[in-house]
Amino acid sequence: MADIITSARADGRTLLTEVESKQLLQEAGIPVAMAHLAKKPKKAVEIADELGYPVVMKIVSPDIAHKSDVGGVVVGLRDAKAVRKAYKEMMERVEEAAPNAKIDGVAIQTMAKQGTEVIVGSTTDPQFGPVLMFGLGGVFVEVLKDVAFRVVPLEGRDAKQMVREIKGLPILQGVRGQDPADLEAIESLILRVSDFIETHPEIAELDLNPVFAYPDGALAVDARIVLTEVPA
Amino acid sequence: MNVDRERLHRALNPKTVVVVGDKGPNYQWLSNMSEFTGQLYSVQLDEKEIPGIEEKGITNFKGLMEVPGDVDLVVCAVPRQVTPFIVADAVKKGVGGVAMFTSGFVETGEELGAQLQEKIVTAAREGGLPLVGPNCMGVYNRRLGVKFTNNQEQGEGGEISVISQSGTHGIAITVGAQHLGLPITRTISIGNAAVLNEADYLEYLRDDPDTSVIVMYLEGVRDGRRFAKLLREVTKVKPVIIWRGGRTKAGAKAAQSHTASLASDDAIWDALLRQAGAISADSLEEALDVLQCIVRLPRSSKRGLALIAMTGGQSVAITDQFEKGGFDVPELEQKSYDKLAEFFVTIGGSFRNPFDAASTIGRETDNLAKILDILSEDSHIEGVALEMQARDFDQGTERVDGQVELVLKYREKTGQPVVALMPEGSVGQMAPETITAARYYVAKKGVPVFPSFSRGAQALGRATRYWAWRDETGS
Repeated sequence: MADIITSARADGRTLLTEVESKQLLQEAGIPVAMAHLAKKPKKAVEIADELGYPVVMKIVSPDIAHKSDVGGVVVGLRDAKAVRKAYKEMMERVEEAAPNAKIDGVAIQTMAKQGTEVIVGSTTDPQFGPVLMFGLGGVFVEVLKDVAFRVVPLEGRDAKQMVREIKGLPILQGVRGQDPADLEAIESLILRVSDFIETHPEIAELDLNPVFAYPDGALAVDARIVLTEVPA
Repeated sequence: MNVDRERLHRALNPKTVVVVGDKGPNYQWLSNMSEFTGQLYSVQLDEKEIPGIEEKGITNFKGLMEVPGDVDLVVCAVPRQVTPFIVADAVKKGVGGVAMFTSGFVETGEELGAQLQEKIVTAAREGGLPLVGPNCMGVYNRRLGVKFTNNQEQGEGGEISVISQSGTHGIAITVGAQHLGLPITRTISIGNAAVLNEADYLEYLRDDPDTSVIVMYLEGVRDGRRFAKLLREVTKVKPVIIWRGGRTKAGAKAAQSHTASLASDDAIWDALLRQAGAISADSLEEALDVLQCIVRLPRSSKRGLALIAMTGGQSVAITDQFEKGGFDVPELEQKSYDKLAEFFVTIGGSFRNPFDAASTIGRETDNLAKILDILSEDSHIEGVALEMQARDFDQGTERVDGQVELVLKYREKTGQPVVALMPEGSVGQMAPETITAARYYVAKKGVPVFPSFSRGAQALGRATRYWAWRDETGS
């Protein structure tokens, strides 16, 4: 854990890469779709072979905050050939869209089964310190701002309430014949994130976006961690 | 700083008060203390001011160090340049604490003000001196008659304490509550809260046996983490009403994450108050409204209300508002309907719940008594909201007394909350000033009363949610 943060600090970075962020989260017991760094196409194929197809490929760069904006995300790669091709094309796209970005390689992860998209995040409030947010993903968070906050540390009842506080709750409870999402799994993920944030004051911001909520379980599919400016 | 609790206690419950730097012609601070039950002294160097002080029968000294015996509270009203000397003397003399009225510090935004504040803060911290303020009205203690305005009452009673970042609002809450017959036991106007902060005062009130309900006016807090943690503890023992001023959507800043971009100051405050079980109020009225319910009514988290309005239109309006406030308006038990049918005038009236009752409840209270009797035996009903009539209040209090007596009897018998609503435009067409007078009269008799259905519904809703939170947390 300390290594990842120390090395980011040594590079003068506050934004951790997806691969780094997910490693920290996994160590904290937060269910996350692990992503593995590949610096070469050959390594990318090796990882994909090991994980099993289909896989997702995402650009890894400390300078790129929004990967899809630069064509840095490809999903549904079904075989080795597709992985090699995607690698080459992604490098070309990113090179064109962000010519000055330092590129570490790509992250390969198993293509997670689609679930209901939710967001779990944290930030540092100037008065109250770390706070946690929960909401439904996509337009619900971006346009409708249908989210709930709590001040860290959270108790069980806080997680329970914040999940039920959002207007979009019926979507999680299952509409139009959809299976209801596992609210307890979401609550447990929220509480683990609260613990994680409380024990790591060097984390200024965190976005798990999206987290896939399933009828059984929840999985953070993308993750981003921002460190504080000054080492805490 | 590490608060010396024993010293702070002396400052807030003083036996000896010294006012430093009061000025004529009004001698505001010394005059405020005219009902102080302890020993009052003045410190003033200015020869022009001394005769006026002595005329009031108050002994004046040239310096704090000359005052004989222990001093519990120094009220400091000197010009800002002089404050460092007063603080130094207060430390040397070992006074309980200083309430610093003097302003002109960080709140001015100028360099000199900030430097002076830094100076007195450092001296107070090093000397372990509890300093209230600066830039504040200081300390009110009802029982002891320590006041910062003449409107504050002196006497026994009071279980409500107030902490206010604004002197004006501290006074408004105190006096407003007094008008409702709710005596405030102590008010602390905390100003810049430079030495003692919001959390320090909250901690004091948590442990204060004279305080069972806390009202705060806050715009922001200095030690947010500690405040948040403490608030969660305190609300499990004592209700805390927080009127937050300066609400703003700003604070959500340009950030790298979605979460940070949505975390406005307002969103986080709302979250904290909910999480900590505090009662949130947006205005003075809301704070006083819910205060009535918290102090006067029995603890209840139940939501099934009987709504008694006087006309058909009002019975619709009262239902709209109480449903919006989170309440249910259940049907009564059949046995209640049977009993009501025996006397209730259903031509131009109704008793399904809500009640449309003016045709049944006339100038006599006999039928109101019967209705309340029936409701008290009905297992569907867990509380009552009653449109109380101010009719004839300009002729005498008898009619209102009758209604109040019945409400108090019902409350006593059932342990349920009852609120009274006395809106203008009610039956009887009384003049607004008569209705207002009747309302304060009812409030003083111990029945929470509101000038509109919506305010009553919101206030009772807030109180009910608070007690539900206590139930949930097993506290």
